[in-house]
Amino acid sequence: MPLEVQGTFVSQKISKIRWIAEDYVETKCFFTGSWDDDVNSVKVWTFESPHEEDEVEYPRQLSEYPVDGDVTEIKFTEKNKIAVSLSNGDVKVLEVSVYEKASPLREVFHWKKLHNYGEEPCSCTSLDTLEGDIATIGEDGNVNILSGRRGEVMHSIKGADSCSLHSICFIKHNEVITGNIRGHMKIWDLRSTNNKPAASFLLAGDELAATCIIHHPTQPHIILAGSESGSLAVWDLRMNQFPTSLVNAHAMGVSEMQFHPENPHKLLTCSISGELWDWNMEAMTKSSKGQDNQVTWMPLEDKKAMMVNSLIPTLHKPINSLHCDKGRILCGADNEAVYLIKNFKY
Amino acid sequence: MNTSTFSADPSRGKAAEPAKTFILPDKCFKKNVGCAWGRGNKFTIYPRSQTVNKTTTNTKTDDKLLNTRQDILLFTPILRKLVNESNGTYLSLQKAAEAAKVSDNQVEFLKLSRQFRSIIRVCIENLQDAATNEGNGIEKNNLLSYITIFYSIECIWHLCEIMYIDSVPGDIVLPYLLEWVRFHFPCHEQTAARLLDACERGSEEQEDYWDTVLGMVVQGRVDVARALLKLHSATESNEFKLVDNSLRSMPVYSVYGGISTGEFTISWKHWQAECRSKLSSRVLASQPKLELIMRIIIGDYSAFESIRSKYSSWFDILGGWVMFTAPWARRHELGGAAAACAGMAPAPRSHLDDMVRALLEGDLHQVIHEIQQISDNGWFATHLTDILFHCGKLSIMDKHQTNVTSRLRDSLILEYGCLLMEHKSLWSVGLSYLASCPPEGLRRAELILERMPVETEAKAMRIIAEAKKYGLVGVAQSVCSCMCARHLSGGRLGGALCWAMRGRSGAAASRAAHAALRHYTAHAALPAQDLLLTAGSAMLLSDTLLFLGKYCDFHRLYKTREFKKAAQLLVSLITSKIAPEYFWETLLLDTLPLLESDEPVFTSNDTYEIMLCLELRSSTLDGEKADLLRLALARNLARTALAEGDGVDAPQ
Repeated sequence: MPLEVQGTFVSQKISKIRWIAEDYVETKCFFTGSWDDDVNSVKVWTFESPHEEDEVEYPRQLSEYPVDGDVTEIKFTEKNKIAVSLSNGDVKVLEVSVYEKASPLREVFHWKKLHNYGEEPCSCTSLDTLEGDIATIGEDGNVNILSGRRGEVMHSIKGADSCSLHSICFIKHNEVITGNIRGHMKIWDLRSTNNKPAASFLLAGDELAATCIIHHPTQPHIILAGSESGSLAVWDLRMNQFPTSLVNAHAMGVSEMQFHPENPHKLLTCSISGELWDWNMEAMTKSSKGQDNQVTWMPLEDKKAMMVNSLIPTLHKPINSLHCDKGRILCGADNEAVYLIKNFKY
Repeated sequence: MNTSTFSADPSRGKAAEPAKTFILPDKCFKKNVGCAWGRGNKFTIYPRSQTVNKTTTNTKTDDKLLNTRQDILLFTPILRKLVNESNGTYLSLQKAAEAAKVSDNQVEFLKLSRQFRSIIRVCIENLQDAATNEGNGIEKNNLLSYITIFYSIECIWHLCEIMYIDSVPGDIVLPYLLEWVRFHFPCHEQTAARLLDACERGSEEQEDYWDTVLGMVVQGRVDVARALLKLHSATESNEFKLVDNSLRSMPVYSVYGGISTGEFTISWKHWQAECRSKLSSRVLASQPKLELIMRIIIGDYSAFESIRSKYSSWFDILGGWVMFTAPWARRHELGGAAAACAGMAPAPRSHLDDMVRALLEGDLHQVIHEIQQISDNGWFATHLTDILFHCGKLSIMDKHQTNVTSRLRDSLILEYGCLLMEHKSLWSVGLSYLASCPPEGLRRAELILERMPVETEAKAMRIIAEAKKYGLVGVAQSVCSCMCARHLSGGRLGGALCWAMRGRSGAAASRAAHAALRHYTAHAALPAQDLLLTAGSAMLLSDTLLFLGKYCDFHRLYKTREFKKAAQLLVSLITSKIAPEYFWETLLLDTLPLLESDEPVFTSNDTYEIMLCLELRSSTLDGEKADLLRLALARNLARTALAEGDGVDAPQ
């Protein structure tokens, strides 16, 4: 079946969008977080056909949870619990009922002003989750590790960066990588207490922000970072500090990336320039085996043609977020619309 | 900021004829009030005391600020969908217009015009859904009035599309006009479908039977009308057969039919003369309803006049009137028909009437003037004018006969764009409208963007990205400077340095670097070392920043015990003389531990240089420290002079 794109206008700029995973059945419901509006909110939606015989499904709002400030990140800590970071410095864990998605979201934990400049508010810019743990970063340059189960701050690295941090990713249980507004990447060993990064390197020479970081699903030492300039950098943490590849990709900043959960060769990226791309990363991993038969990522000059497809016609406004589940991709954009892309081949 | 006091002079009010008067609600506004404009269409009214010094605190307690702004229809959630969706189509239209400069793109324009209409349709549907679910009476009424507004917008747009955007073969507008009437006044068609579905003989028992038959004739649905007549119990009578025959034999013009307009006109007139003779023979006298149908199809004015009252507006019969009086009418020949139909009943002229009349008369200037009166905050006027402008169908002269078409289009778009930029979320939509009207749009955008509240860095980065997209480098720089100043005042030097470098602003970078150096002299800790050690060419923005970077590098070398390199760097910092005055003490005292190191790290020449600087700037150090430094310098000079004199491993 051909790719099918369907957009719905929702009257709020969408900063984050996430499918709610289902057991045994096709996912139907999803979260959205909004930003840059007078009152922002986390909403739960479901797809349904207005008429029985209709094939087309439209999103319908099930519940709304208003928040102060912008929603800056939504990630799952458990199947039905999300950690939400907000631009007023707060972090919340919210729970959606498994059986009745339409019932209002329940607040499980709330860290008030987790990130702050003393009295002044400061944005909590992003977070990442790993098995119930939450790592948050803020414009204050601090890193906090929270327990999503017990609701306590387990560890914090004060002054991890002298500038604001904009992206974070768990590499292992005790290791996170952060990227700041200048593209300065630092790896932190959470067991150490000396507030010094275990390693640090630069994303590119242009001093632009690292907007998102992810790791390869099956090879966690492979780290990808998206830049504010729209380029994409790949590191093999075992090799060295320099990116093995730095690809000029989107016309403007990369806003979010995701490896397809079922096919690690597929990478999806979206950008401020309104593009949504699907990358075939197979060529990058397969064609080069190192001396001891280890898979290494290809260095820059070997890369001939990257397989990149554009999934939707370029929007006039930034796409802020994407989330993929099997053959269905959701994305949320600044034109106050959410898009569902169906029949994506992976 | 602009302040002015309201004058209490009543004569001025009369002269200017205020559109609306509001009573200020609180007693603190009774004496003097001031007013200050905010961003966009907003202003704040505040009590203003003439005697500033004499007012004491007891009166201040009941002072209030009154924020006043226009209530904007387009900012309601349902209509925000319309705003955003139509923005996409608008931007596609601009691209199509760009492409149309080299090749004809009429088909694309028609497609986009239809897209606009479908957006309006969706919006009406959404409003209808909301209205049925709304319990609150006032809210419901509001929604219903929005529906009326957008309904008439769609109606006008459709007619405009027929008259100016669609390509009508041979310019014969009738089929399109009939389609328009059918589309917007579907009630008779629905009844007809119901009757035909039931397919019962003797349908004339139904009370709306004849109205429906007439309605179908008037809408030009001759085949449907004939089918309905077949359901009449007397359909086998001669009178019915006669009418059916007349309807069946009506010539229908088609551009591709193979006959010329002239030929068609002859056969059509012939047919109508035949009908007229049948009528005058009075064979239908026993069936007044059938007689009425015959009178209608010969285009009898009085017959149309008699049925006019059955319709809510004259648009319903417009199609029929054109069909039975001048089916060969071209697009620009509809003015007369409109006047005839509108004159059939003394109904009060509604706004929609005026717009349709002006449109059919081909007076686009009047049309645009009228649609600007619709209270949709200029959405319709802006988009319609723009599409007509790009189709090349708009030509508007001012009173001096100069063409002001593009100025009209620009002014509408600028107005609409500025309106949207007031909204917290829709600013980026507004910006894309302003950007499509260079150069004035961009100048306006610049002014508004610079005044946008920036709460987070994410927003700042987004504003910068948007500004750069349209080449507004000044905005990007001023946002960076603003962020830099904010971090600086909060004492966050890393952030300040970083934003100064982002904005490539030498002045801001100097300020931040000075703050960092002063912070070091006060707290003996260098801020933002991670940044300074990794910064690249941006360090060249200002001398102070470069000095700070080098000084930071000196610290790094010293900490890693590379004393010789550290010493060299320190000497070059001292001799370059770019250090700020307050930093000399620190710089000179930093030589002390290096002078006292086991291995000599300064050459005698270096030592002389440091001595010179020390004597030139002795005022920056107090006596004891200076003496200590002099002693260390003298001892180092003694060591190095001896070693260099021997010519053995003199430090380079």
